Amino acid sequence: MGYVDVSAVRHTLSDGRVLLDDVSFRVGEGARAALVGENGAGKTTLLRIISGDLAAESGAIARTGGLGVMRQFIGSVRDDTTVQQMLVDLAPPAVQEAWHAVEAAELAMMEDDDEPTQMAYANALAHWGDVGGYDVEVTWDTVTVAALGVPYDGCKYRELNTLSGGEQKRLALEALLRGPDEVLLLDEPDNYLDVPGKRWLEERLLDTRKTVLFVSHDRELLARVADRVVTVEGGTAWVHGGGFVSYHAARTARHERLAELRRRWDEEHQRLVDLVRTLQQQAANSPDMANRYHAMQTRLAKFEAAGPPPERPPEQKVAMRLRGGRTGVRAVIAEQLELTGLMKPFDLEVFYGDRVGVLGANGAGKSHFLRLLAGQSVTHTGDWRLGARVVPGFFAQTHAHPEWQDRTPVDLLWHGEPGRPGVDRGRAMAALRRYGLAEAGEQPFRTMSGGQQARFQILLLELSGSTLLLLDEPTDNLDVLSAEALEEALAAFDGTVLAVTHDRWFARSFDRFVVFGADGRVYESAEPVFDETRVQRAR
Amino acid sequence: MPLTEDPAVDQAVARLADEFRARLRPQVIGTVVRNCRRDLSGVPATALPELVERLARERLLSVA
Repeated sequence: MGYVDVSAVRHTLSDGRVLLDDVSFRVGEGARAALVGENGAGKTTLLRIISGDLAAESGAIARTGGLGVMRQFIGSVRDDTTVQQMLVDLAPPAVQEAWHAVEAAELAMMEDDDEPTQMAYANALAHWGDVGGYDVEVTWDTVTVAALGVPYDGCKYRELNTLSGGEQKRLALEALLRGPDEVLLLDEPDNYLDVPGKRWLEERLLDTRKTVLFVSHDRELLARVADRVVTVEGGTAWVHGGGFVSYHAARTARHERLAELRRRWDEEHQRLVDLVRTLQQQAANSPDMANRYHAMQTRLAKFEAAGPPPERPPEQKVAMRLRGGRTGVRAVIAEQLELTGLMKPFDLEVFYGDRVGVLGANGAGKSHFLRLLAGQSVTHTGDWRLGARVVPGFFAQTHAHPEWQDRTPVDLLWHGEPGRPGVDRGRAMAALRRYGLAEAGEQPFRTMSGGQQARFQILLLELSGSTLLLLDEPTDNLDVLSAEALEEALAAFDGTVLAVTHDRWFARSFDRFVVFGADGRVYESAEPVFDETRVQRAR
Repeated sequence: MPLTEDPAVDQAVARLADEFRARLRPQVIGTVVRNCRRDLSGVPATALPELVERLARERLLSVA
């Protein structure tokens, strides 16, 4: 089995800012460590340093056992990479090298059939056999059957962009978990997976004997799988040796301890400075005191040279103030509503103050239902209406705003839109600061991270004075802290909330669940239901 | 497996004997194929028949 040992790693960004300093931790044999931290804290950079993609400015990485890496972009591959290429890329370096040699020799044989070319091809094949290439192909066959239900030969030339994000992730995970590498680095392995897929991932990670370091924002996955938590914050990293359940208490305790150490250091520093001053005055009058004065000066210099203990990391202050307001008792009424071709007609009454989780199969029409309530045009039959004083506010999945891509948050806030008055620059910046977005205020929307885009959308909801929040996967791109801030804001919100979500942890904060079934039936449930399968529809 | 019983060798000899009957004696063809098989000894079994035949053909063409 393998391990990873990171010691005193430092990394500086191109603008000179120190992103990581003195990062040291060890992921021991067979450990399942989660790497958490705010968006932009340096988690992905740290993974890239460990995997060797990026050279650390100083410090060292030691590891044993082959290293398998799943990068974040898997799941969103849109170019013409094939299944075969991805499997090769995930294989150990020796296999990759042998495979490329066979490819090159095959191409050469098409051009020329002379004896040296043939012998080169024979050598490449022999080498492929020597590095275990034929066994690897058997594993790939198992992998594609498990992930896609198709033998390797039937799908090796298929392009990844014809697979869903979940299928791409599943394929990569199967390949790494069944592969020979003993240490796995997984950057957001659960993205794009539906809840049954996430449960599958949890079981596989719990079963594996490999050493795993993974980044995830899914609190349920963190709580079930991680046996230790590495936190990247305040420019460095620290390790909580327990699971995610006790993580919050540990983090708070650490922050308090850091603050206490710093306070003691400041006090001791002040005491030494005062002492030096007093001795200085006494030394002027008495030569006997001169020696003591110099000794104390040296002591102060040494104390200052050793430097203060690290500061308590600044808390990401995301203060969401979703106010809402009193509305009619019935906030949403649907009678024999059917979104054409998506589901069977259903009735629904949502009351003022309800927190309704909208769950169910992918492709069953959940997002369309929210869009309809938000006043967008969606083909339907049957009736629906909103109650008195109900003002809907819609949080769409981030890619649903093409018109925002080139505009900056400040510009979007300044101009306003129907139902949301514009605000001046000062107020806009104050609001952005409350959402931890002050630095992103002047950059185009498309260049903001997923988490920043999500927080900005929640800010727009706050400013629009909505009394009915329609949220489509709001926690999908939020880091753990922002997701918790959103939960607090929703708890304090005076109004009604309907949210589509696959986030099991988030769903626990709701009190009613409307489930869109794979068979087209829409039903209510007192408990969250996550195992509706994907809707099968002719495509 | 002795080379005389190797199916990769037998198949290649049979096919190449047909192809080169007019120009070369069957004993020559057999010797060339067996030499090729020996030169390709590290190649995985599944790829052998094709590679042995191609290499032998290339060598026979250069002498025929």
